Amino acid sequence: MKKFTLWFSTIFSSLFVAAMAFAQEHGAEAAGGSLDGNTKAALAIASGLAIAIAAFGGALGQGRAAFAALEGIARNPGAAGKVQTPMIIALALIESLVIYSLVIAFLLQGKI
Amino acid sequence: MNHFSWFGYFTHDLINHTNVHVVSAGFVVFLLILAILFANRKLRKVEERVIPDEKTTLVNIFEVATESLLRLVEGIMGPDGRKYFPLIGGIFIYIFLCNIMGLIPGFLPPTDNINTNLAISLTVFVYYNAMGIRAHGLVRYLRHFMGPILWLGPLVAVIELIGHCVRPVSLSLRLFGNITGDHLVLGIFTDLVPVLVPVIFLALGLFVSFIQAFVFSLLTIIYISLATAHEHEEPAG
Repeated sequence: MKKFTLWFSTIFSSLFVAAMAFAQEHGAEAAGGSLDGNTKAALAIASGLAIAIAAFGGALGQGRAAFAALEGIARNPGAAGKVQTPMIIALALIESLVIYSLVIAFLLQGKI
Repeated sequence: MNHFSWFGYFTHDLINHTNVHVVSAGFVVFLLILAILFANRKLRKVEERVIPDEKTTLVNIFEVATESLLRLVEGIMGPDGRKYFPLIGGIFIYIFLCNIMGLIPGFLPPTDNINTNLAISLTVFVYYNAMGIRAHGLVRYLRHFMGPILWLGPLVAVIELIGHCVRPVSLSLRLFGNITGDHLVLGIFTDLVPVLVPVIFLALGLFVSFIQAFVFSLLTIIYISLATAHEHEEPAG
């Protein structure tokens, strides 16, 4: 009986969450047409530069990580499996910094 | 670009872009529960499964996923990482399936929206703090925030607090940015060259989905292990 209660409440609550979505009301997003022309230009330049500089720095960092990993594999081909996993983790973490900048670029571009 | 979704199509835009992420997340959970029920029925029949199945069955997939995740957790946290395994495994499978949904035409990934990601990140935040308090006791856990040197305590505590509060934000933003950017890139390139190029980006999307779920759960493991780490000896000054 206890197991049935657990299963039933799990399934019911997960479907209930989906049904509750209909009750949500979101306010309409404000139109960005009231901004100054100079402000729009600045926002456009800023969002372009943000992702450009972030991609540049990220590429340098990931290049160094990949270089170290590839050199390790070249010296010791048997350890390729052990080197590969930390390399992927390092690449993902470095890329996450670039992604933060991409999010800011999206935010700025959305305000235009 | 318009965001078409099967949910919106079948319910005549009752499920629109404001709430499709909740419905998609609920759909993923529903699919997972169905899969678990099917696999559980198979597993109940045999008492002990020593020999795995030959072909790729549903039970096999679950076994592979559970085993590799358990190996990951025990590799980082040691053998007492097992009691934290249910949350970490669940997070990995849930995020992976949510990300994958973006690759199927007509579905939007629920991790596209910062709310879904914040839900998972805040759960992880509360969980690792709770586990740290349970492992150390409240006073000793807060004492860890002060750092090793006592008279620098307040300064270090501020820095540590900021670092800790940034953790759920960074977790969710990383996932959000990766999945949104990937979805956007896929959409743009499909608009440009609809014929063969999307295959490359779908493969990239699969890769990114897996890596992001993996990095999320890996960071969860690291945060939990940092919070519950027992230092048995003090380093000599």
